[in-house]
Amino acid sequence: MRREATRRSRGSRWLALLTWGYVLLSLWPVVVAIQFSFNAGRSMTSWQGFSLTRWYFGDPVYSVWHDPTLQSALMQSLKLAALDMSIATPLGVLLALGLTRWRSPLASASNFLMLLPMVTPEIVTGVAFSLVILHLFVFLHPGTLAQALGHVTFSLSYVVVIVRGRLVSIGRQYEEAAADLGATPWQSLRYVLLPLLLPAIFASLMIVFAISIDDFVISQWLSCGAGCDTVPIRIYGAARARQTPAVNALAALMVYSTLIALGVAYLLFRFLTRGERASGTSPGAAVTTVGGLEW
Amino acid sequence: MDLVKAFGAQKVVDGLNLRISPGEFFSILGSSGCGKTTTLRLIAGFEQPSSGHVLLDGVDMTNTPPNRRNVNTVFQHYALFPHLDVFDNVAFGPRRARVDPGEVKRRVGEALELVQLAGYEKRKPAQLSGGQQQRVALARSLVLKPAVLLLDEPLGALDAKLRKQLQAELKALQRQVGITFIYVTHDQEEALTMSDRIAVMSRGRVEQVAAPREVYEEPASVFVADFLGVSNLMSAMAGGMSGVGGRMIRLGNFELRAECGDGSIQGRAKITIRPERVRIEPRGSGGENRIPGTIERCDYLGSAMQLVVRLVTGDLIHVQLQNTGEPLEFPRGAAVHAHLPAGALRVLADPGEDDGKG
Amino acid sequence: MYPKWLWRVLALPGIAWLIALFLVPFYAVIGVALGGVDPIFQNPVPAWNPLQWKFSSLLDTLEGFLPGHEYWRIFLRTTEYVAVAVSVCLLIGYPVAYYVSRHARRSKPWLIALLVLPFWISYLMRMLAWTNLFAPAGLVNELLELAHVTRNPPDWLNGNPVSVILALVYGYIPYLILPLLAALDRIDQSLLDAARDLGASPLQTFLRVTLPLSKTGVLGAVVVIGLPMFGDYYTPNVVSGSPQTSMIGNLIDIFFHGGPQPSIGASLTLILTMFLAALTAYYLFTVNRAHRESAP
Repeated sequence: MRREATRRSRGSRWLALLTWGYVLLSLWPVVVAIQFSFNAGRSMTSWQGFSLTRWYFGDPVYSVWHDPTLQSALMQSLKLAALDMSIATPLGVLLALGLTRWRSPLASASNFLMLLPMVTPEIVTGVAFSLVILHLFVFLHPGTLAQALGHVTFSLSYVVVIVRGRLVSIGRQYEEAAADLGATPWQSLRYVLLPLLLPAIFASLMIVFAISIDDFVISQWLSCGAGCDTVPIRIYGAARARQTPAVNALAALMVYSTLIALGVAYLLFRFLTRGERASGTSPGAAVTTVGGLEW
Repeated sequence: MDLVKAFGAQKVVDGLNLRISPGEFFSILGSSGCGKTTTLRLIAGFEQPSSGHVLLDGVDMTNTPPNRRNVNTVFQHYALFPHLDVFDNVAFGPRRARVDPGEVKRRVGEALELVQLAGYEKRKPAQLSGGQQQRVALARSLVLKPAVLLLDEPLGALDAKLRKQLQAELKALQRQVGITFIYVTHDQEEALTMSDRIAVMSRGRVEQVAAPREVYEEPASVFVADFLGVSNLMSAMAGGMSGVGGRMIRLGNFELRAECGDGSIQGRAKITIRPERVRIEPRGSGGENRIPGTIERCDYLGSAMQLVVRLVTGDLIHVQLQNTGEPLEFPRGAAVHAHLPAGALRVLADPGEDDGKG
Repeated sequence: MYPKWLWRVLALPGIAWLIALFLVPFYAVIGVALGGVDPIFQNPVPAWNPLQWKFSSLLDTLEGFLPGHEYWRIFLRTTEYVAVAVSVCLLIGYPVAYYVSRHARRSKPWLIALLVLPFWISYLMRMLAWTNLFAPAGLVNELLELAHVTRNPPDWLNGNPVSVILALVYGYIPYLILPLLAALDRIDQSLLDAARDLGASPLQTFLRVTLPLSKTGVLGAVVVIGLPMFGDYYTPNVVSGSPQTSMIGNLIDIFFHGGPQPSIGASLTLILTMFLAALTAYYLFTVNRAHRESAP
């Protein structure tokens, strides 16, 4: 018995080594890249000392703060993210409400439709979008509006999945109680359902932000040129060219903002559902969809 | 004042016809899936009957939505709004009815006093114990002074001791406010203790509606007999009328006389007798309704003695003897006579293949 | 309680959006792929009416995938890269997922957070980080020289298929580990306990119970990373600028942005989609069959 136990723990020790090794190796390149954003010199590969601000806003020519192309990329990314958040979230919430509570074969088909963008390879979506703009929706030109429309289209699915998780964990009981106590359907929505959905709505906002900021393919295919380039597109262009660590700084900024958005989403969600943890309802299902995707 | 009459008819609830009197504590008793919760939801308005009507005080409410019926529900898991504190939860109903804030405050205070939770206004539901949550749910419903209060297994989530305590409190509360309570449960003891009348349901149909005593002592069907307490059901053949009253029943090779039960049954039937009515006598005693048997088991319970006796007909019966202080000896295998007094022996219709499992 | 039409109406805007901006664009791909080409300007002229669809161009492009024809090599290469990359992902990812799911106790939430992290770091950022490391003067080559493995470290970033495959693994493996983790988590511990109780060793339990039960999970995770990988074009572009490592995605990219024949690009996209749809259908069919077998 004891021999077996040590054999097992030895086997699992190798696994532990592999796992932690993988985790470290997968994050190490990113850490190094962020480290180099603080490089005192111009090289992206050899460390020349620590400078906190040179590439962020110190260097008068190349830093993110001063380089117009980098700045415009940052602005464009933020603009698209704002547009995405403000359109995809309300649309997605309504869609989630409708799809969860509507029962009919048409509803299942719509559900399938909603999931399709998630499983389509991005290049297919990119091609499709640019073709439709060229040949059908000619009033749309490649540019910010087209990019925003594309972003919303694939963000919708994420919002629906998150809100739906929350809806399912709430169930119908609170609205029934509200109706029982005399609330009209409208009052029930306003005083019971919407407040309870708020955590998921905030989580969706933050996640749409993170997704939009990180998007590359759609933004590139619908870009109008340098003015519409987003941060990922800049990074793509810079990865093979001779560039300064300002690119690292730009990418690092993106990482910071995404992590902050996620942190805020998580904390807000926990704060807003703090009244539910000890009692019967479980926000568990929704929490796991905040962190990853619904599998 | 509050008369609720409902005939619902869906596959879940079949041909239900109940008449509930004002101010009574009415229980619907049955095991899971028998349709009792659906019945409650029909009354509350969350389900629509496929046919039939729900009447409150003579007014047809079948097509009225739940928020406009003067009926309130205490849900099984309370459904207290997690994002509101106790005060706001209880105030929810009055506020939606546009009662003005001063009056709301007064009424909420009153309701919380009624359930002995004054002072808990600022707490959130997650900070309350199960019993406290249940009381808030009660207060929330009672503050609206409904004509009828529906309770869906409200004590199910609580432990045994708390349950007993709350049973007494609920009963007292009902007496105090005088509102009709319709109480759904699967716990027969609960129903027997608290109710003025009980409706026993099985598979969507009502088997019997009567006061607790009647339901226990005079069960109308095999299901009711079996559901409440131990029933000692035995298969027998119903014979003709007896000269001295009751019917003659043939159990195996024995002729018994039964005074209770359905007089119209012919042929195959079930007979039942409660364990506390069976008498154990030494072999050799004469008289009607005596069947020889052997003691299979004897359990001393302190206040009573529980025996399991195997009759020569093959049936196994449970006997409960009150502890009268007499030292009684019932060794295993002892041969005795089981006396089933005619006045306690009941004839019931044989339900067929189910064999009384309802 | 709520009017019956409410939910339908709420869902309508979202559905309308998806139809207009997802289904219709896809129809545009079909229209261009099966349409004609303006003889003068050489522009594609999309055919919206199904009756006007011309399959000749599509069939020509499809023919290009047969062995010996112009797209055969790229198709082969893409399949190779994807197959190798997915296998390596599985080789590393499965043990990691297994460990986190079954053996990690206190560190489990931390590990899960760390595993989820790459999800939210932009793919491009990770590729940038990768190229920095593998640049001629980068850390990897430094380490190799230090360890005296070679004196002449290879040029990682110029047309090196190994780099592309490794980059694909690095990029996509997080998307494999998480679904796999979820699937492994779902296996009931009591099943494993029962196996041990009946005398199976840990290895046997793994081979005979855990592994078969995780089959659908593995298949699902493979689909989740395999499908996007097939359409990947930016990874080869970033990690190796050379056409020697082009994948199908690169082909489509070139036809659209470089070349004069977007209709061929559309045909290629269509073919790619149908190929992937076939794979997905096969996957769904297998899963469905497995479900029906396991739940009588």
